[in-house]
Amino acid sequence: MPDFSPDDNKLALKVVFYGPALSGKTTNLMQLHSLLNPERKGELMVLETRDDRTLFFDMLPIGLRGRSGLDLRLKLYTVPGQVQHDSTRKAVLSRADGVVFVADSQPSHQDNNAIAFGNLEENLEKVGLDIDTLPMVVQFNKRDIPNVVPEQELQERWAETPWSPLVMASALRGEGVIETFQMLLDRLYTDIDNEFHLARDHSITRGEFVERLSRSSSERGV
Amino acid sequence: MRNFEDDPTLQDLVNSDQLNRLNQSLTALCSAPVQLSEQRPGPDAVPVEFNLETVGWLSGAGSAEERQAAAGMVAFLMMFIAKYRLAANLHHDATEAGYAELQRQNEALKESEARYRELSDQLQEKVDEQVSVINQTQQELYESARLRSVGQLAAGVAHEINNPIGFISSNLRVARDYVKELGEALPETNANRELLADFNDLLAESIDGASRIASIVSDLKTFSSIDQADYTRCSINQLLNSAIHLVQTEYQHQLNIVERLNEVPEISGHPSRLSQTFFNLLDNAAQAIRDAEPEKGQGRILVKTQVQANEVQIIIQDNGCGIPEDQRAKVFDAFFTSRPIGSGTGLGLTVARDTARAHGGQLQLDTREGTGTRVLLTLPIN
Repeated sequence: MPDFSPDDNKLALKVVFYGPALSGKTTNLMQLHSLLNPERKGELMVLETRDDRTLFFDMLPIGLRGRSGLDLRLKLYTVPGQVQHDSTRKAVLSRADGVVFVADSQPSHQDNNAIAFGNLEENLEKVGLDIDTLPMVVQFNKRDIPNVVPEQELQERWAETPWSPLVMASALRGEGVIETFQMLLDRLYTDIDNEFHLARDHSITRGEFVERLSRSSSERGV
Repeated sequence: MRNFEDDPTLQDLVNSDQLNRLNQSLTALCSAPVQLSEQRPGPDAVPVEFNLETVGWLSGAGSAEERQAAAGMVAFLMMFIAKYRLAANLHHDATEAGYAELQRQNEALKESEARYRELSDQLQEKVDEQVSVINQTQQELYESARLRSVGQLAAGVAHEINNPIGFISSNLRVARDYVKELGEALPETNANRELLADFNDLLAESIDGASRIASIVSDLKTFSSIDQADYTRCSINQLLNSAIHLVQTEYQHQLNIVERLNEVPEISGHPSRLSQTFFNLLDNAAQAIRDAEPEKGQGRILVKTQVQANEVQIIIQDNGCGIPEDQRAKVFDAFFTSRPIGSGTGLGLTVARDTARAHGGQLQLDTREGTGTRVLLTLPIN
C-alpha cells in the first residue's frame, strides 16, 4: 500500500520483482540501475549473497519531485527466489504496490515458473493483497538463450489473463528491462492516480510519471 | 509499528557513542571540528544523503570542500550500516512472521485435535449405546424365546388336559344323575340317606374342581396364545381376566382383586406379550401387598380399564408396600430386582415397559413407600 506522509508531502511506493530462482530478478534491477537515469536515483543496495544467489533482497530507490513539491519515491525490491526463503519473500512482499514477475523462458523451467506464480498468489493473499487487482507485469526473461519457449506460444497461453501481453526480455543484455518497468509504471499510475490524484493535485500526468521515472541514461538531458 | 523498509533516521543507524566517535574521527581528519547532527544546525551545513533521504547534516570543518568530502564519506559509511540494519530488520520481521505462522498452525492443530477427540468420544458413546441396545435386544429375544417355549408347553399341556377333563366333567354329571336314580331305588334308611348326601357332595366338589381345571386350561390357552398370529385384535378385558385368574391361582385365590372393567374397543396387539405384561403387573401388586406391613389391614388390588381420548387406559393399583425413593429410578432397568436372589428375574417392569412401547403406548408408575403403587398403562386405539 502506498505510504503517504502529508507532513513531508512524501509518497513512497514499493515495487517487488518476484519469480523463480535464477530467473534474473537481480539482473533486472542491476540493469535498471545502470540504464535508468530518473530525476533521483539512490544506490543499488545488494544485500548479502551467497554464490551469487540473493539471500535477503536487493533494493534500488528512485524518485521524482512534483511541481506541487510532492516527493515521490519508488523503491524497487527483489526477493530471494529459492524455495527455502519463503518467509523473507513474504516480508518483502508485504505492502507492495506493484509486482514484476520475472519468469524463465527455458522450456525446462516452466514448472518452476508455475510454482513460483502459485507461491506469489499465496503469499499475496497472506499479506492481504489480491493478485487480480494489484498492478503487475509478467516478463519472460532469458530470450537470448537458444531454444526458449516461442513467444507466440507464451502470449497465447497468457492471453486470457489480466497480465497479457507479456514482455519478452534479456536482462543480461539489457533488452526489455525498461519496457517491463514502463509497463508496470503505467499500470501503477492508474491505481495511484485514483487514490492520490497525481494529475489533479500534483500536476503529474501518466506520460510524465512513466517518462520521468524511467528516463534512460542515453536520453539524458532530453 | 515500524517496517524493516522504513527509511532509517540517524538515530536508527548510529547511537550517540558511535556518533561522538564518528565526529571525533572526522574532526581529526579535517582542519576544524566537524559536527554531524540530525537537525540542520545552520545555513552552512551540508546534507548527508542516503537512499534519497537526508539522514543528517554536517557542519563545521575547515572549508566547504572539507564538509562536502566528509559528508560523502559519512554517506558511504551509512550505506553499509543501513544494509546491515535492513538485513537485520528483515530477518527479525521474517522470523516473527514465521513464528506467528507456526503459532497459528499450532492453534489450528490443537483445534483439530480437540475436534477429533470430541468425535472419538461421541463415537465411543454411540458404540456404548449400540452395545446396550444389542444387550437389551438379546435379553428380550431370550425372554421371548423362553415365553414361547413356556407357552408351547402350556398349550400342549392344556390341549392334553382338555380332552380328559371334558369327559371327566361330563362323566361326573352323568354319575350324579345315576346317583339320583340309585337313591330313588334304595330303601329309605338313615344310613342310606347320609351315604347318598355324602356321595352327592363328593360329586359336586369333583364337578366344581373339574370346571376349575377347565377354566385354568382355558386361561392358559389365552395366556400362551400359541395358536394366534403375532399381531391380532385383542380384547384387553378378556386378556386381563385371564391374567387375574392366573395370578389368583398362583396365590391360592387369596387376593382381593377389585375389577372395574369398562367396555373398551379391541386394539391391535400381541396378546401373549400383553398377557405377560398384565400378569407381571398383577404379580408385582400381589407381592407388594404380601410385603406390606401387617397392621395396614387387608391388601387390595384395583384393576380398571377405560377409554380416554384415543387411548385405552389400564390401571393396576395396589395398597401394598410401595417402592422406596432410592429404587424408583432403577425399577425399569433390566435385571434390577428388590427381591431375594432366585425369586425374581428383574425383568417384569422392563418387559412391561418395552411391550407398552412396542404397542405405541406408555407405562407410568406412581408410587409411595408404604402407601402403594399405581401403574397406568396406555395403549393407542388403532
